[in-house]
Amino acid sequence: MRLLVSWLRDFVDVTASPREMAGRLELCGFEVASIEAHGGQDAVIDLEVTANRPDCLSVIGLAREVATAYDLPLALPSAEPGARIALNPAPVGESSRVTVTVEDDELCPRYAAVVAEVRNDRSPSWIAERLDAVGIRPISAIVDLTNYVLIELGHPTHAFDLARLGGPEIRVRRARAGEMVTTLDGIERRLDPDMLVIADRDRAQAVAGVMGARASEVSSATRTVVFESACFKPASVRRTSKRLGLKTEASARFERGADINAPLLALARIVALMEQAGIGQPLGPLVDRYPSPRQPLPLHLRRQRLAQLLGAPVDDAVVERVLSRLGLMPAASADGWDVVAPTCRVDLLREVDLIEEVGRHYGFDRIEPTFPVVPAPVPPPDVRVPRDRLLRRILTAAGLSEAVTFSFLETDAAQAFVAAAEGDGLVAIANPLSAKFEALRSSLLPGLVDAVAHNRRHGRRDVGLFEIGARFTAGGETRGVAVAWTGAAAPEHWSGGSREVDFFDVKGVVERLSGALDVPLRFEAVRKPFLTPGRAASVLVAEGPLKGAVAGVLGQVVPAVLDARGLPRQDAVLVAELDLDRVWQARGPGAPDVLDDAVATRPLPRHPFVVRDLSIVVADALPAEVIRGTIQAAGRGGPAPLVAISVFDRYHGKGVPDGRVSLSVRLTFQAPDRTLTDADVQESVDAIVATVVREHGAVQR
Amino acid sequence: MTPPDAAAVHTEMAAFDAELARAESPRDAQSIRDRYLGRKHSVVASWMQAVASAAPDEKRAIGRLANELKHALEGRWARFLEAAEQATRPAGALDATLPGRMPPLGHRHPLTVVRDRMEEIFTRMGFTIVEGPEAEDEWHCFDALNMPPEHPARDMQDTLYLASPIGAGAWASDPSGPDGAEGDDARTLLRTHTSSIQIRYMKTHEPPIRIVAPGRVYRRDDLDLTHSPMFTQVEGLAVGERMSLADLKGTLLAFARAMFSPAARVRFRPSFFPYTEPSAEIDISCWRCEGRGCAMCKQTGWVEVGGSGMVHPAVFEAVGYDAERYTGFAFGIGIERVAILRYQIDDIRLFFENDVRFLEQFPY
Repeated sequence: MRLLVSWLRDFVDVTASPREMAGRLELCGFEVASIEAHGGQDAVIDLEVTANRPDCLSVIGLAREVATAYDLPLALPSAEPGARIALNPAPVGESSRVTVTVEDDELCPRYAAVVAEVRNDRSPSWIAERLDAVGIRPISAIVDLTNYVLIELGHPTHAFDLARLGGPEIRVRRARAGEMVTTLDGIERRLDPDMLVIADRDRAQAVAGVMGARASEVSSATRTVVFESACFKPASVRRTSKRLGLKTEASARFERGADINAPLLALARIVALMEQAGIGQPLGPLVDRYPSPRQPLPLHLRRQRLAQLLGAPVDDAVVERVLSRLGLMPAASADGWDVVAPTCRVDLLREVDLIEEVGRHYGFDRIEPTFPVVPAPVPPPDVRVPRDRLLRRILTAAGLSEAVTFSFLETDAAQAFVAAAEGDGLVAIANPLSAKFEALRSSLLPGLVDAVAHNRRHGRRDVGLFEIGARFTAGGETRGVAVAWTGAAAPEHWSGGSREVDFFDVKGVVERLSGALDVPLRFEAVRKPFLTPGRAASVLVAEGPLKGAVAGVLGQVVPAVLDARGLPRQDAVLVAELDLDRVWQARGPGAPDVLDDAVATRPLPRHPFVVRDLSIVVADALPAEVIRGTIQAAGRGGPAPLVAISVFDRYHGKGVPDGRVSLSVRLTFQAPDRTLTDADVQESVDAIVATVVREHGAVQR
Repeated sequence: MTPPDAAAVHTEMAAFDAELARAESPRDAQSIRDRYLGRKHSVVASWMQAVASAAPDEKRAIGRLANELKHALEGRWARFLEAAEQATRPAGALDATLPGRMPPLGHRHPLTVVRDRMEEIFTRMGFTIVEGPEAEDEWHCFDALNMPPEHPARDMQDTLYLASPIGAGAWASDPSGPDGAEGDDARTLLRTHTSSIQIRYMKTHEPPIRIVAPGRVYRRDDLDLTHSPMFTQVEGLAVGERMSLADLKGTLLAFARAMFSPAARVRFRPSFFPYTEPSAEIDISCWRCEGRGCAMCKQTGWVEVGGSGMVHPAVFEAVGYDAERYTGFAFGIGIERVAILRYQIDDIRLFFENDVRFLEQFPY
């Protein structure tokens, strides 16, 4: 809202400079966008008016705020002789020149009109100049008149050329299905029965509260006009304006809520200005269709509630001054004040709204900060908070940096990875602003791979990133953690020995997470279109109530996908993603709280351990996990308890036949209650060897 | 000064040896050398001066002694350096100036750094941290927050809707999950603020409560220097029997002092949010220029960090609280906004590009 300071001074004798006034308005809730000098003494202050204050989309509304802020009287529009803002209310009755029928008084609770005889040439300069200053182009005397009243009083009105109305009559009705109207901007628009129109006998002559029609537009030839001044239901104007994609000064005001008493005020002002400017005079009485008059809303403000909500006692005198200046007519009662909200203040509906009014003008700045008493110990946070912090600690310690990528993506980018989420397709955004944001991610991997590509394009060869975030499928929203890693496994060092990241680096990270969350996971070879065959695994829950459930995926991205995402085909990009909710759920009820440090320690062993290394040749295709299981089971029966198994070498080549592999396994034996003898250990090792020979055709080397 | 004679040459040489033997560092040794062999104010320099001032018949003898001392000291110095070198670099010695092998350590994202810090500050003030779903229903995001259908405020924050509703997913077992109160034609949207979490929390907890709800939020905005369709918020809520605007101010002042500067001040500018009344924009006194005016505060001395206000009674009514008995305050602060101010970032897109050169600039 552009406020011309000299126009404001018609209403209130404020002597403060425009800059000072702007500062004051800012602290009353009107953000100042700019202050421009205008002519010698004058200025235009551009203010942001919040959605709850349609009354301040006008000079009079802002004048009331200024008058309250400076404790000055406000000159109200009046029919008294010598009034500063003159009104000329025509008598109310029926017009012999036009008939007015309101068919839908829910969407149009009040409709007033007056016919006038006019000369529609140029406006007098004082009208044109004021409009120009506030950013409205002067057009013709009649149009300028309605715009002048729009800015001054905040109420939109419209003028129809009576000679161009069919009838002559005005009919406020819903549009017919498919009814067409060409609005003043020259665009032909299709209407629907949810929309309200102002029609003549035959057709729509305006979209109610939004814009008039070309057909009855005033021109220099116009001799008789009908001035319309009405109230329309805010929700209806809003819906219509949205559906037509047509926002106007009128619709902006009507959709926020118009003053039910403004129609007559606006017409009285139009008539007074019309006569003052020599543009014309009314013909006959003013028609007012107002079937269910509304009463101003009585409200009550309690002194004690005011002090309690603001946390500061406000002097009665200040409360009364503010409420009076705002036009709320306070009357003292036992515990506070009875007030009447003026009909222009559509935002004042309950006591708390009055508290805001007093607070605003008392000054939020004068309220001394206090610190609220903490009534109870702080309950623990949502478990996701410490859990995700733990994951971040582990992942950053692995050398990976945290990424935050968009929750939505292009369908194309996502498509290659769709299979990363089980089964479900992508969830589409109904109203995306661009194709880049058209679908919700079902996996964190597309975003992470794109982030790797961004870094690669900027000359970074070694990139390790992770993200923790939401993923979306038709089944709903889940939280995941994912890793994308390429380049050297550790930073280059002068001592040499650099190694590229591979499958087992990423797997190690997943294993670490599994350990930290205390959820045993298994890995199983899998085929995924975006992962290199033979270098892809499904991550499964290994134990507990969800045993066997898929909890994630791991592997090396295929060259075709790298290519599509702008990465060199020959790069090795390793990725992993876990469904955190699934993993968390897999802990089962009663699982120990891994986020707590309440662990029961085991006593340290008091007897020495014995280590035996075993080299066996087995089929290359035999999964390590199977051999491990066999050894574990075989070790269970022997006299020496087997406490640890680790594979420390895997060898192909000379001395090992094709299709077979030599595995070196370190076995650790230890008993809690005695020192093991060589004989015990040997017996256990023999049993293990016998079992792997029998079950896997192993040959001991 | 010992007078230059043959005995003095030996005394000085012995003293030089003795001092060098006690030197603890190459630096010490160098200063000893300078005292004996330096060009000015050293033993040798003073002997040379003695030559100049000696009687003509003595000049020759003293000159010879002075040179003898000079050469002897130089020889000893050279031997000392060689021995010192031997002592500090035994065979197979390492070059300690070569870079070490640093264990790997990644960086948290700056938005996490700020979020962690805000969570820590508010936890100290008695707030607990709660989370909620990003895909939300209209009731939790709007209706319960005093924004009924057709409310103009729904326009203020243009919303991204899903093409079709999705299941409750991981939030299904959450006691605060969707409850069907929103009716059949409810659409699923991406939450425009984390206030929806506050609604979920209030529906399952009785006052007094004090929570902060961090998380990603979405708006139908294009990505440019200052806008993003996705950003991150921390929203706070405190409800009790006598919560006041002064308490809100005190809480935000404590936050500003912990987060920005111990000297920070808070200014409230009246504003409008449908879910608070009264409502206020939160301005913090500019900590870079201390209010004198700079580029960061656009010469105003104040920096806006978020919105706040007293919870609107209609919100309490929606969640079944007694709006007469309880009052509360709420605030929302953008994490990107705080990070931009704290780290002097000029482009919001940097947060989502994940350029490692950017991420590595933040603390571990």
